Amino acid sequence: MSAVLEVSNLRKSFGGITAVDGVSFEVRDGEILGIIGPNGSGKSTLFNCVLGQLQPTDGEVKVDGKVTNGMRPRDINRLGVSRTFQLLQVFPQLSVRDNLILAGQEHQGTMFTRLIGRSDAGLGPAADQMIEFFRLSHIATEMAGMLSYGQQKLLDAAMAFMAGPRLVLLDEPAGGVNLTMLANLRERLQAYHAERKATFVVIEH
Amino acid sequence: MNRAATISIAFAAAGAVIAPFMLKPFGIFLISMWAVLTIAAIGLNLTLGYAGQVSMAQGAFVGIGAYTLALLTQAGVPYPIAFAASGILCFIIGWGLGYPALRVQHHYLAFVTLAFTTIVFLLLRNEEWLTGGIYGVNAIARPVFFGWSTGKAMDYYFFCLGVLTVIAFAVWWMLRSPWGRAFVALRENPVRALSLGLDTRRYTLMAFAIGSSLGGFAGALFASLVQFIEPASFALNRSFDLLLMVIVGGSGYFMGPFVGALVAVLLPEWMRVTEGYYLIIYAALIMVMMPLAPYGIVGLIERGYKALTVKRKPPAPMLTPERTAP
Amino acid sequence: MASFIQLLVSGLATGAIYALIAVGFTLLWQTSQTINFAQGEFVMLPAFFILIAMNYGAPFWLSCLIGIAVSIVVLGIAFKYIIVDPMLKHGVLPLVISSIALALFLKEAVKDFYSSQAQPFPVLVEASDVHIFGAVISSQSLVVLAVAIATVIGMTFLLNRTRLGRMMQATAQNPTLARILGVPVRRMVLYTFLLNAVLCAIASILISPIYLAKFTNGETLGMAAFLAAIIGGFNQVRGAILGGVILGILDNLSAAYLSSQYRAAFPLIILIIVILVRPQGLLGRVEERTV
Repeated sequence: MSAVLEVSNLRKSFGGITAVDGVSFEVRDGEILGIIGPNGSGKSTLFNCVLGQLQPTDGEVKVDGKVTNGMRPRDINRLGVSRTFQLLQVFPQLSVRDNLILAGQEHQGTMFTRLIGRSDAGLGPAADQMIEFFRLSHIATEMAGMLSYGQQKLLDAAMAFMAGPRLVLLDEPAGGVNLTMLANLRERLQAYHAERKATFVVIEH
Repeated sequence: MNRAATISIAFAAAGAVIAPFMLKPFGIFLISMWAVLTIAAIGLNLTLGYAGQVSMAQGAFVGIGAYTLALLTQAGVPYPIAFAASGILCFIIGWGLGYPALRVQHHYLAFVTLAFTTIVFLLLRNEEWLTGGIYGVNAIARPVFFGWSTGKAMDYYFFCLGVLTVIAFAVWWMLRSPWGRAFVALRENPVRALSLGLDTRRYTLMAFAIGSSLGGFAGALFASLVQFIEPASFALNRSFDLLLMVIVGGSGYFMGPFVGALVAVLLPEWMRVTEGYYLIIYAALIMVMMPLAPYGIVGLIERGYKALTVKRKPPAPMLTPERTAP
Repeated sequence: MASFIQLLVSGLATGAIYALIAVGFTLLWQTSQTINFAQGEFVMLPAFFILIAMNYGAPFWLSCLIGIAVSIVVLGIAFKYIIVDPMLKHGVLPLVISSIALALFLKEAVKDFYSSQAQPFPVLVEASDVHIFGAVISSQSLVVLAVAIATVIGMTFLLNRTRLGRMMQATAQNPTLARILGVPVRRMVLYTFLLNAVLCAIASILISPIYLAKFTNGETLGMAAFLAAIIGGFNQVRGAILGGVILGILDNLSAAYLSSQYRAAFPLIILIIVILVRPQGLLGRVEERTV
């Protein structure tokens, strides 16, 4: 089994503060890697560096053996890497279904075919499947902003899977979610992992 | 909602077709102006309402479009080509104006576009060799298509209405395509959009360019409608007016610009009785409306309709998570 | 050279007035995210308060005091409670629209209820010329400069050296933290509105003898305030002062040495360059955004 993600000697400093100091690890295909640490230990910064939201000060990130330092987040996303955010990041004025379609549409066709093609970019069935899979059917047409926090968290996770990623980085998926919802989320993530053989990196404290 | 919306749009469309037969020439002029301003407002609604990019330059694009059409037709260029050129030129300039939006947002972008508007106004006023300066351009032709002359008020109105219909359909199509979703994503959360693989750069520039090109088409129609253009018509006030139309109608709602432009065109006529006090009353109305219904008239109607028809339990309260340091 | 000094001094005088307007503008932005598109009209209006007081027979100095007091009530208190507060929860853009409407409202109100003609406005000192290094400088420019500088110094003293001023700055920089530290944030926000009204009134007294009091005065003045605030740095009081002075000098120099047709475009081009190259302004700090 080859390494999907390799991080070597990653370092990130903000002025005088070094948030991430020489972190190295690798994640193999189909693995679930947990990263645990207290608040402020640099977990999210690590994610931001891996995904191109921040540029690492030093070190190297490889996805499938390809160096991704300096690539824009959208290009890294195109390599099949997706993520969830620690703070909620859904689009409140789009419906649950539209949020999901949006999460996958940029992987379909070109700008031009997306303009003249079908409204759902051919992702309608996939979105409906995902809605069912994450048990969001009863709220599929609601605006995401009207959902409860736990439901938005589920949607956030579901969005990360829409493009059929090989590697998913989950930033505190359980943070602020009540226990029932958490059990639900955990079960869904495990089911997805079993079904698609995707590779996970999970941050929790 | 959909059924009610379809029925009311059908009625409105029928009204737009019947109206000129019941109006005097000045009335036809007004509804032609409504069609023209609606096109410009649709463009701004795309840039501002959907993609969330504040622009105070729409009036300038109307001006660029108007002058392009006027000068090209007077130089002997066939009308259809001049008309297309108005939109295309604004598309290109709008694309350029989109670049600052990639670097700065909100009030900074508002001021860049505001500065752009003022510079365009100064160019129109000062470059007399091209634009005729403060004397403007007059005797602007109205088009003739295959023997159908749009010289008369009613004919020209139907030409404007036709262009409005085509543009409205194209924009409606675009907004329900993945592009529409991408524009809203740009407005609501560009960082997240980027991490979902959206080319936010290109969508931002597109939102500016397409919105601006609609301003250009509106300007082309405007030039032939009033048949005399001068720089003052495209000063900052025009951009403010268009901004008010979009907000008053309902920014981010497809029907918003139609309603906003209607209010902007009809209100001054209805308030003729108030004589000179029209602008004071207009300004006061907006100040009263903003805190009560910042989502505009269409937003107000939609909310009212929902409140009346859908009996639903109040949305679950949004729990805010403990905000933790990364 | 002599004419250059002349231009420089009159430029400084105009710039100092712009600075007063721009400082109030940035204060409002900092404390309540208000982009006041009516700021120019806020400078246009006090002159008319003063003229009305004088029409009732009050002497000029008393009228000025009345004008400042009325400005505090109308442009400070009423503006905050009637226009700004109800809009805050709706975000920046609706408030921008409201302030554009307010600008229109004030302009039209002056035109319809006072006069559409430019009104002569009393000068602070009799016009006479002062000779410095061979340059002829009007006493007016010097007085404007003196008053504006005194106001800026007074305000800087208030903001930096007094308890009240520090509380206002704390409110401007981080309202949440300031509230936790026991700063009466709501009152401090109100004070910035009052301070803005006073600055606008003083600017009005200084500029109206030069431009005459006219309902359209706000258009150019408001634009100058935005330009100064952005060029100097939107989130810094001293940035706004620097921006105002730069703008005033540029204004006068470009009018003399550049094509007067494009005089108005010159600061706009500088604005665009500043925004593109250094969006935080010359003295501004980068406002941090969280991912």
